[in-house]
Amino acid sequence: MFRFIARRTLSALLILLVISAITFVLFYVAPRDPARAACGKVCTPQTLALVRHNLGIDDPLPVQYWHWLVGVFAGRDYQGLGHCSAPCLGYSFTNHEPVLGLITDRFPTTLSLSLGSTVVFVAFGVGTGMLAAVKQGRALDKIASSASLVGSSLQIYIVGVVAMYYLSDEWHILPRPQDSAGFTQDPAAWFKGLLLPWLVLALIFTANYTRMTRSQLVETLNEDYVRTARAKGLTRRTVFFRFAWRGAMGPIVTILGLDLGYLLGGAIITEETFGLHGIGALSIKAVRDNDLPLLLGVVLVAAAAIVVANIVVDAVYALIDPRIRLA
Amino acid sequence: MSLSRRNFVIATSVAAGGSMVLSACSSGGGGDTAGSGSSAGTTKYSAVTIGTKDDSTGPAPEVAGAKKGGTIHAIGPDDFSHLDPQRIYYSWNSTVANLYVRCLTGYKIAPGGSMKLVGDLATDTGTMSDGGKTWTFTLKDGLKWEDGSELTVDDVRHGIERGFASFTTEGATYVQTWLTGSTDFRSVYKGPYGGKHLDSIVTDTAKKTITFHLKTPRGDLNWALAMHSYGAVPVKHDTKEKYDKDPVSAGPYRIKQHSVDKSMTLVRNTHWDPKTDAIRTAYPDSFTFEFGPEGLQATDRLIADSGTDQYAVMAYSGVPAERIQKVISTPDLKSRTANGLLTGLYYYAINCKRVTDLRVRQALNYAWPLEQIRKIYGGPSAGDYATTILSPDIAGRVKYDAYGKLTKPQGDTAKAKALLKEAGKLGQKIVYTYPQGASDAYDKTKVVIANALKEAGFDPVVKPVESTSYYDQIQQIDNQFDVMWFGWSPDWPAAYTLIQPLFDGTTIANGANNVSQLNVKWVNSAIKKDAAITDTVKSEAAWAALDKEIMQKEAPIIPETYQRRFYLYGTKVGGAEFDPLFSAFILYKLYAKS
Repeated sequence: MFRFIARRTLSALLILLVISAITFVLFYVAPRDPARAACGKVCTPQTLALVRHNLGIDDPLPVQYWHWLVGVFAGRDYQGLGHCSAPCLGYSFTNHEPVLGLITDRFPTTLSLSLGSTVVFVAFGVGTGMLAAVKQGRALDKIASSASLVGSSLQIYIVGVVAMYYLSDEWHILPRPQDSAGFTQDPAAWFKGLLLPWLVLALIFTANYTRMTRSQLVETLNEDYVRTARAKGLTRRTVFFRFAWRGAMGPIVTILGLDLGYLLGGAIITEETFGLHGIGALSIKAVRDNDLPLLLGVVLVAAAAIVVANIVVDAVYALIDPRIRLA
Repeated sequence: MSLSRRNFVIATSVAAGGSMVLSACSSGGGGDTAGSGSSAGTTKYSAVTIGTKDDSTGPAPEVAGAKKGGTIHAIGPDDFSHLDPQRIYYSWNSTVANLYVRCLTGYKIAPGGSMKLVGDLATDTGTMSDGGKTWTFTLKDGLKWEDGSELTVDDVRHGIERGFASFTTEGATYVQTWLTGSTDFRSVYKGPYGGKHLDSIVTDTAKKTITFHLKTPRGDLNWALAMHSYGAVPVKHDTKEKYDKDPVSAGPYRIKQHSVDKSMTLVRNTHWDPKTDAIRTAYPDSFTFEFGPEGLQATDRLIADSGTDQYAVMAYSGVPAERIQKVISTPDLKSRTANGLLTGLYYYAINCKRVTDLRVRQALNYAWPLEQIRKIYGGPSAGDYATTILSPDIAGRVKYDAYGKLTKPQGDTAKAKALLKEAGKLGQKIVYTYPQGASDAYDKTKVVIANALKEAGFDPVVKPVESTSYYDQIQQIDNQFDVMWFGWSPDWPAAYTLIQPLFDGTTIANGANNVSQLNVKWVNSAIKKDAAITDTVKSEAAWAALDKEIMQKEAPIIPETYQRRFYLYGTKVGGAEFDPLFSAFILYKLYAKS
């Protein structure tokens, strides 16, 4: 296990390094000048040069990237702003705040949104899928299958806006989404503020998990080893949970890991729709403001979330399925 | 997503971004309105005058029915980009800066939107001498910072000298240029941190006077000094780059809490004396800003009007197109709106370097389908047709219609075709660009524009540019565009800040704002000559004449609209007035109803 984690961590770092280099290059491929935004309305060539110097973008591209890398591993000094300790992801061009600080400030919202909605969509999605598989071909199965088809066709930017308008503004059933209260500060306000985003996000994801769970279970229930277990006289419950369910969960865990990684990297549309201040909203800001350090930071977070999720999925997969060994 | 606000405001200072296009069908009520007649817009064009010493003496006039106490909540999509006055240029920053930054002069806004330039920190709008090369201001008594220390003339000088520092690149540059005589003013003076002061600013602590010695005569220094870029900063509490995070207040409120991109709270500055302030009232105990909700969300919350949203206003982003119809057609909602024209002008810059024939530029003006464009924007409530370079809020502006746009707003393609024929340019290719992704409306207008140009005998080629790099591309002098959507707002309501940056040929450079690249000797000379006129009446007349002459003799732009914006507020908000200067609510006039 240790060798597995060490090897995967090393390869993850390599992947992140490559991603950061690609992001760096791609940023400068676009015909845009991040210095313009800080150059005022009447931007003279002298002022523009000064801004480029202030932002540290007057050096050649490889030098800039090298400075950034050094900052990540050894920290970096910024004129007028002081020392930025390692891992220093730089200072935001537009906020003039350490990128790492901005990310850690935003991450709790993204984490809350991701974990909360995951609990809801896993519980409902897997639960409904199991029921549909057990009641295969009956009314419940048909309703669940049809509803999941509708659910998977919905888009969060429509459902979210409509849900907010009616459930919060018109009918006052659910509170308006907000993320000003942290879990540790005010758990009740935290729960109420995120309830609607959880439900809407879960509505979209639940559909996929219902369909996937159902199809995996239906397939597994017809496997030879399940039939053998039944033939041996094991109870229906034991056969279902110990053999069929466990066998069906492998692919679902894989997808769940990737979904969670995606959500932790920033649920961009969800956060924008509900006005939440997470990593997703931060990434939109970075792109919109031509803010390279911030963009690099959020891209790395998103990539790291996916990479880590993959490692965790691989490990969990081995626990679920004894046939798989970590080597 | 709407056009990047930061990029959009590169071209517009006083008018902030947010939703730029409205989709209603009633009209603005300004006296300049063409072909409209309903009553959605009620704010008249501002008349700006220079106030007297009495006008500059506090306290500010009371807002009828106002009472003290409570909290006003403001909702906006983005945080303020800067809080350090020397780094403030754009209007959405200025809306909040009004609460804690004070300058030598400022604008006193009467109900209805008429404005007077008055002394803010100064006792009046200054005394000009030496033919406009010397200006002297005297500070009021009783001015204090939020820690109770006295605000001195040295603090005022310090604020202006900070504008030379290497980290204040975002702010205005007028006064620095006038004081040093160089646009490369940082090569002359590097700011106050080396221990040196500018020779051209003289302070007298005992007399509380500050005197500016300019290299060239300027009759409008007192206007320029009203910009927040020239706000006072306490010498003792200047933290240089870090001041942007924690500025010290001289106004009625101080910043208590600020979580970047999330929220900000301002509370009363107990050391602010209303008797020293002729501009601001201070009714709420505090203001809270919530950053994040886009215009649509903010509008829906204010429509729902529940909880603390009853005490909320839209901070600087107006009612978006999706809700404007509902807002202005529902009496209860309409009664909770403030609206007005954005300062400045939206226009299409004609690249004079590529479109060299005047008759072709005139033909473009005749052919341009303003009516169809405004219909896409939402009809008359989206704004008024523009026919002049100077917007209606500019002092001394004289209305004219050189290309018959008020009589034929749909475009006179026959006249355009005749001009093209006369020039031997029938079938001339015209490459038109606009910021793609900024607004659905621009994508729609490209069709009516192309159709009109085809009908007039042009060969239109539409080449949209992605909005985040739009200005970077069109502000390159070797760009390959013939007509470019653009917008510009004045830095103070005087013609100089509209005409000089846009048409002075000596400013042409990559990244400069003379997007038309008009470089004509007589225009350059006239700008220089008019800028030196210190008599207000003569100056205004000269600029108004130049406005008309440029459009008639050079036609470097196609004026489009003076755009209108609607803002919504909660039922328990009082004193909601549209700020004709910064195109948002005047925060310091708001009060919380019981």
